[in-house]
Amino acid sequence: MKPLKQLRPEVKTAREDVIVFAVGGYKLAIAAGAVKEIRGMDDLHPFKLGGISAQIAKLKYTLERNGTTYFVIDAAQHFRLPVSNASRVMVLRNTPTGVLVDSTDRIMEISALHALPPAFTHEERGWYRGLAVVNGLVVPVVNHTAFLNRPELEIVRAGLERVRGVVSV
Amino acid sequence: MIAEADKSYVLFPLGEKRFALRAETVTELARPDSVQTFPHRTPLLTGVLVRRGRIVPVCDVAQVLVGPAAPPRKFYLIANCKIGARQELTAVPVTGECELASAASVPLTGNEPPYVSGMLAIGHETVTVVALEKLICAEATS
Repeated sequence: MKPLKQLRPEVKTAREDVIVFAVGGYKLAIAAGAVKEIRGMDDLHPFKLGGISAQIAKLKYTLERNGTTYFVIDAAQHFRLPVSNASRVMVLRNTPTGVLVDSTDRIMEISALHALPPAFTHEERGWYRGLAVVNGLVVPVVNHTAFLNRPELEIVRAGLERVRGVVSV
Repeated sequence: MIAEADKSYVLFPLGEKRFALRAETVTELARPDSVQTFPHRTPLLTGVLVRRGRIVPVCDVAQVLVGPAAPPRKFYLIANCKIGARQELTAVPVTGECELASAASVPLTGNEPPYVSGMLAIGHETVTVVALEKLICAEATS
């Protein structure tokens, strides 16, 4: 019989700056390096494209910035929370994704990232990189690439290309 | 099935019924700390506790064992639980004080749910021994 792994929790002890934000009454954090810009709700264009909107309901808006189209995801819907009062958009770096959140709080440094306990077995395993403990409070650190993952991005791009093709004809 | 020799169990109440965990799996009975929650989709898990710098998931087994009518939970029984290939601490909310008891298990009928690993006859009471990992895994995959 194979011995069980020891009861050592997985903790990564690298220091990291994170931005704390709120969605639906929960405090979450995102790597500061993953965020390019935090802005208000101005200049958002509602995204409505039949097939895509049905497949990726959390995709609510687009935002044009410096020649790039960002696809803006409703974080409450991403985390399967009730509708919340979004007021800010976090524009992400290295991905054409924006994230609608209720508010952004502060930048802080975390010194360790605890692995999400294996008892959590559902979608949250993709949502979070791990859990930080700040003054006794547990703050999940999000996996920013999960807001609009590669397959979802492909669906969006393919849908837009199809529409543009139809328009050009 | 052959009855096992006497073993130690921690008996815990959920409302008017008592259940048991193997004593060697239980590490402590904790007073209620604040359960911290965050968005997730795993059934039975209500959040996490921070115990001595470690993050311990809270698994509300009362929903399965006694249904939604269980009274408020007062304490947390913290037990080792094998999830996948790892042993992890898991906090089980219970509704009152727990008791350490030695008892022999009585034969199972074969009709019990998979999370029942034994039955104990303690006086006139029959107490179900819960295999926590099976209960969690069954709910997680349901």
